[in-house]
Amino acid sequence: MSPWPTLAFERRIQIGFGVAVAIIVAIGAAALRSSSATLESAGWVAHTLDVRGALERAVAIAIGAESDVRGYEISGDSAFLGEYDAARTDLNRLLSRLRELTADNPTQQRRLDSLEALIPQRIELLRQILEAHRRHRIAGAAGVMSTGRVKPFMDEIRGLVARMEDEETRLLAARSATMRARADETRLAVLGGTLLALVLALAAGVLVKRELGRRQLAEETLRAAQGRFRQVLASNTAVIYANKVAGETFSPSWISENVTRITGYGTDEALQTSWWIDHLHPDDRSRVLAEMGALVKKEELATEYRFRFKDGTYHWVHDEARLIRDAEGQALEVFGSWVDSTERRRAEAALRESEERFRLLVGTVRDYAIYMLDPNGRVVSWNRGAEQIKGYSAEEIVGRHFSCFYPPEAVAAGAPEHALAMAAEKGRFEEENWRLRKDGSRFWADVVITAVRDEEGKLFGFAKVTRDLTERKRTNELLRRHTAQLEAANVELDAFAYSVSHDLRAPLRSIDGFSQALLEDYAGRLDAAGQDYLQRVRAATQRMATLIDDLLDLSRVTRSEMTIAPVDLSELARELATELTSGDPERHVEIVITPDVAVRADRGLLRVVLHNLMGNAWKFTGKRSDARIEVGVVAADGERAYYVRDNGAGFDMAYASKLFGAFQRLHRVTEFPGTGVGLATVQRIIHRHGGRVWAESAVGRGATFYFTLS
Amino acid sequence: MSLAPEVEILLVEDDPNDVELTLRAFRARNLANQVFVARDGAEALAFFFGEETHPLRDIGVMPRVVLLDLKLPKVDGLEVLRRLKADPRTRSLPVVVLTSSQEEPDIAAAYRLGANSYIVKPVDFESFARAVSEVGLYWLLLNEQPG
Repeated sequence: MSPWPTLAFERRIQIGFGVAVAIIVAIGAAALRSSSATLESAGWVAHTLDVRGALERAVAIAIGAESDVRGYEISGDSAFLGEYDAARTDLNRLLSRLRELTADNPTQQRRLDSLEALIPQRIELLRQILEAHRRHRIAGAAGVMSTGRVKPFMDEIRGLVARMEDEETRLLAARSATMRARADETRLAVLGGTLLALVLALAAGVLVKRELGRRQLAEETLRAAQGRFRQVLASNTAVIYANKVAGETFSPSWISENVTRITGYGTDEALQTSWWIDHLHPDDRSRVLAEMGALVKKEELATEYRFRFKDGTYHWVHDEARLIRDAEGQALEVFGSWVDSTERRRAEAALRESEERFRLLVGTVRDYAIYMLDPNGRVVSWNRGAEQIKGYSAEEIVGRHFSCFYPPEAVAAGAPEHALAMAAEKGRFEEENWRLRKDGSRFWADVVITAVRDEEGKLFGFAKVTRDLTERKRTNELLRRHTAQLEAANVELDAFAYSVSHDLRAPLRSIDGFSQALLEDYAGRLDAAGQDYLQRVRAATQRMATLIDDLLDLSRVTRSEMTIAPVDLSELARELATELTSGDPERHVEIVITPDVAVRADRGLLRVVLHNLMGNAWKFTGKRSDARIEVGVVAADGERAYYVRDNGAGFDMAYASKLFGAFQRLHRVTEFPGTGVGLATVQRIIHRHGGRVWAESAVGRGATFYFTLS
Repeated sequence: MSLAPEVEILLVEDDPNDVELTLRAFRARNLANQVFVARDGAEALAFFFGEETHPLRDIGVMPRVVLLDLKLPKVDGLEVLRRLKADPRTRSLPVVVLTSSQEEPDIAAAYRLGANSYIVKPVDFESFARAVSEVGLYWLLLNEQPG
């Protein structure tokens, strides 16, 4: 087994078939040899029969010649003599033929020698008989024949011939035996060879079949791998390409199909020689072309440039190429990949920008000390605010432990370590406390320490933000004092309002009361003018009393506690509408109130608002017979604005800014009564609710007052 | 006792103008003869609980109604009210609080101390006179003493 696996399949098949062919050739040779041996042995049989035939004919001719001689002896007929001559010729011819036939066999040659010696002697004897006869005429001849000299000759010839025949027969038998043996061998060889060839062919067949199966499997695997490769390329974000290199020029030879998905160009376009260079951004072209030279020198190149996609937009592309050389070092081909890096560059730029912004921000902040500590509490970074607040420059402080910012007693109490431990444990530590500047002075600091951890959660350090609150602490103290003063002033104001309500009203009451008394008790002594003057005095006191009451209302609105709760504005408006109509039943006013307007407000104060607005609307529609008042809600700048609208006298928008000031009036008192405090009260209430109030109007076209509630 | 001058109304008021005008209103309704005026809180308290030497006091005589101004010198009206309502002898005496203030703490305090009525003195004298005399009359009639 051991040498086989190392041989290539083709070699094994070749050897197998070679062996089979050799066997088949051997079988053919054996068969050929066997058939020629059969032919030869058949020749030998014929040869033997020839020899024997010649021998028998020679004996017959010798016997015939003797008979002819005897016939002549008896009859004297010379015809027998003719035959005898013919027999002599025949015998010589036969003998020379026999010599030819037995030329390979020395034993037979020797016997033939003896035969050739005997037969002429016999012929000689017969010739002597015939001579004698001619000379002695008949009698003598009989004597020769009968002497018995002829008979032993004949026997000897016969014996010789018989021995020669035996020899030939034996030779034939021997040759036939050899022949048969060889034929058996051949049969065996043919059979064996055929079997062997069959086995080899079978083995080769099995081998080929197995190999074919293996190849088919390999092909399928290859096809699958190719399919996967194509899919990988198709779904990849990288375009793969190859360029043939000839000297200094590159020509595209292959490009992955995803180029269409990514750039919009078909592969046929992308494989055109000038495609790449034509779509390079003009500003990048010369740089990229210069870099191409480096590719030849350094064998590889990574660059980025802008490339125009099919839709006309330029995309940044990251291109990595590698040069392949042949054995002689000749540049062969360039392989590369190509990725749209626009998004990545944008993200990088955004990150850079944000980092820069962050660096600028932290670097330029002056009111906050923003710096980093390593996990042990040593200062790593330092911003301008830190310089400003603590007095150290970055060179002085970076590398030092942050406990130098703490007063000695805090350091002794372990405050710095505690702060870091808390920040590490909870993620954040915050306190307000005293800290030290470089010059040893103390400042009140707001400190936030935040633990900074990396992605694995390992402590990376601490971010520390410190603010100098000394000034604010002082301001807070001041504010507290001022607030207390204000509160005291408010109490005084309350007392003032109280006394105003008592003390200002009392003299008015007297003025009015005694004027009345004069009118009643001294009417007879006063003429009409005097009575009119007293009436005017009374009217003036009434008006002043109303002013005082309104001022008190305004002051109360500012000072009272507010309770914010859901209020049904529509219901409140209906109540007020009822009050207005019952208070002045002579008038006919159409009052339209949007139902179910729910708000959150102080009910009492909201009532004052609606009372004033609806009261105004009532008042300023007094001169109209078709008076109409609307209460409702609209959307204004994303919030709900409630409104009270009338179709009354209205006002000139030029004076709108004066509307909400105390004692500001846009109408003469004789025209419409009032003190000008109502809208100031409305504005105060709306402001206390965090809302806005405004009005829209035109002279003679009514007015709409809007308000919002936060 | 029946000979003693009957005091029907005690008016506690420091402002002489208000006193004059109030009395004028009572006169218009023929009530002025039975009005006794205290000029401050101390005088009012002396009327009820004071020394024997009080010149105008007739021990054992109770007014039928007290009209009490809240803003008074020496002892203020609320204090007078508190003392009147704290003493079993004067507890049932109807007290009508008169004030020029609509300030809610005053109203609430007066009612809490047991004031029976509350009148904000209007600047308009006619309505003031009407209110005072009507309230005074009401309590006079309601608090009619037997005999």
